[in-house]
Amino acid sequence: MSEKGISKEGPGAAIAEPKEVQIIELDGHGGHTLEPEWKRLPIGPDHILYPLLVGIALFPILMGDSGHHLADDMPDDETHPFFPDHFWPYPVIIIVMMITLGLLAAFVQKNLQLEAPADPRAVTIPRPDWYFLFLFQFIKLGPELLMAVVIPTVIIIVFLLWPFIDAIAGPPTARRLGWKRWPVPGRNIYSGAGFVIFLAIIALLEAWALAGPGFCLPWFTGQVCGA
Amino acid sequence: MAIPHPRDVQLAVVNWLDERYPFTKAIDEAMYQRVPNFANAFYYCFGGMVFVIIVLQLLTGILLAIYYVPDARGTPAAAYTSVLFIQSNVYLGWLIRGVHFWGANILILMVLLHMARVYWTGSYRAPRELNWMVGATMLLLILAFALTGYLLPWDTKAYFASEVTIKIMGLPPPPQLGAFIKTLVQGGPVVGPPTLQIFFTTHVFLLPALIVLLMYVHFRLIRAHGIAEPL
Amino acid sequence: MADAAAPRKVTRRNFLGWWMGIILGALTVAGAAPIVVYLWPAPPKGQKKGPVNVTLDKPINQMNDGDAIKFDAPSTPNTAFIMADGGGDNAQGELAFGGFVVKNGSKVDVFAINCSHLGCSVALNAAAKTFDCPCHGSRFHLDGSVLQGPAPVPLSHLTWKEGSDPATIQIDGIVLGF
Repeated sequence: MSEKGISKEGPGAAIAEPKEVQIIELDGHGGHTLEPEWKRLPIGPDHILYPLLVGIALFPILMGDSGHHLADDMPDDETHPFFPDHFWPYPVIIIVMMITLGLLAAFVQKNLQLEAPADPRAVTIPRPDWYFLFLFQFIKLGPELLMAVVIPTVIIIVFLLWPFIDAIAGPPTARRLGWKRWPVPGRNIYSGAGFVIFLAIIALLEAWALAGPGFCLPWFTGQVCGA
Repeated sequence: MAIPHPRDVQLAVVNWLDERYPFTKAIDEAMYQRVPNFANAFYYCFGGMVFVIIVLQLLTGILLAIYYVPDARGTPAAAYTSVLFIQSNVYLGWLIRGVHFWGANILILMVLLHMARVYWTGSYRAPRELNWMVGATMLLLILAFALTGYLLPWDTKAYFASEVTIKIMGLPPPPQLGAFIKTLVQGGPVVGPPTLQIFFTTHVFLLPALIVLLMYVHFRLIRAHGIAEPL
Repeated sequence: MADAAAPRKVTRRNFLGWWMGIILGALTVAGAAPIVVYLWPAPPKGQKKGPVNVTLDKPINQMNDGDAIKFDAPSTPNTAFIMADGGGDNAQGELAFGGFVVKNGSKVDVFAINCSHLGCSVALNAAAKTFDCPCHGSRFHLDGSVLQGPAPVPLSHLTWKEGSDPATIQIDGIVLGF
């Protein structure tokens, strides 16, 4: 029943004696000045929720040491501690997410219902789910090898290598335009607008497909209808 | 003998653990890590939401696998009737399957939102190129998840959608290569029970292993780099 | 660093490097080859090629010019037809689960049901006397030739002969064994 060395009052009530709090020196980087004691995490090794915290900490242990971060060089009033200031929205997000999914499962049964059992002899129009629908529509617009294999592969490769394309092609373009630097897409009329146009094309293809088989538009290869 | 206070027991356990691994140090380091205020903007949470949904998908997926039968022989096949059984007979089966189904849809949406945010704020720039590529690979894995999962209920729409997809996989020239890929993916001359078995194995064993591994790499890299500067 | 133009000397170090590379490469091939062989699908027990008897809705000798009759491959045991020719998505030796018997003038054709574009089942458009593909809008004349793309080539034929009675035909097929 020993309660020696445990503060029982004040904002730091549940934490261990100050002498037990070690100042953490992280190897290889400057670290950050710890919060004054009264602002520190109110869950010390003696707190009933501490095992939970160890559980959460297994995650960062797995993740290894953190490097030198942007926040380490920022003034204190422009940063906040991860726990609890940055952590608290996530439990809320988890709860909202679970409730949303549960409600969808309960009330939007239409998409979940099975059709007739698979039968290769059945005559149906195959129609992929929404995330492949734009591609399905895209394939109709030209020779199948080009539309179904070549262009998607090229797009995937560009997408994977985008950081390098941006870094290599960006600065010379900026110089040609007389810009001082090549900004990020959010502040860049070219890479920003390119992205928006790309999304718009996908959205249009998706809408075209969703409009149904009765909705046909003229195209170079003739009339192309939705799915 | 005096009964020790639970708190003392806990402290003893923590001390014992601390002598073997610096848990308290790890907690301190992780929990007091400073986060820039700009990272509080709502659009910085899509990645976290993706993580939450992937965990949810793993859990509901394991639960579904308890009742699902990956057997496509006969009409209706056991695969089809087992999904029907989950949906209508298993207690709360509709909920677990519904969460898995809607989770998959929202997951794709969240992945796209997360990717759009990373692109828009230029967070893929040096030194984070590698993490962009890891993330992009995970997007492709998620699409592979969606593709293979779509066939599992073995109903008409699943069958024909997969048939078209496999046809497309068989397009790369020369024709021998296309036919080789198609036969391997299909597990035979037509979409049939072997195809379901292959898609099931991919969906349930191969892809989860890969995505968990890549998620680990993704998070380690995020932890090493910290949050990217805003716009 | 050595000058790039200088002749390379085989040292113990780079010999061992090459040696390790070769060993690891051989190991990868030796490990991967059995996996590919293992993954290559074996025919299921009971898979058997041979003529398949198909009963038509209407005997061939009663068909009028421009008539087309749809038929399915038997499902017990699960059977498919083997295409005699093909192009586009179809090819000789590919399988089909249905087809059409068509009378064009004095000639009778038997087509596999799969569109040459991406293999969807075409449907008879009795009014227009065409086969229409519901998937990507390809259309075919009743003689199998393309009326409208994206299908690149005509429909595939099935190899057939008349059966024991006028309403039956025998088509080359395969019992799938599953």
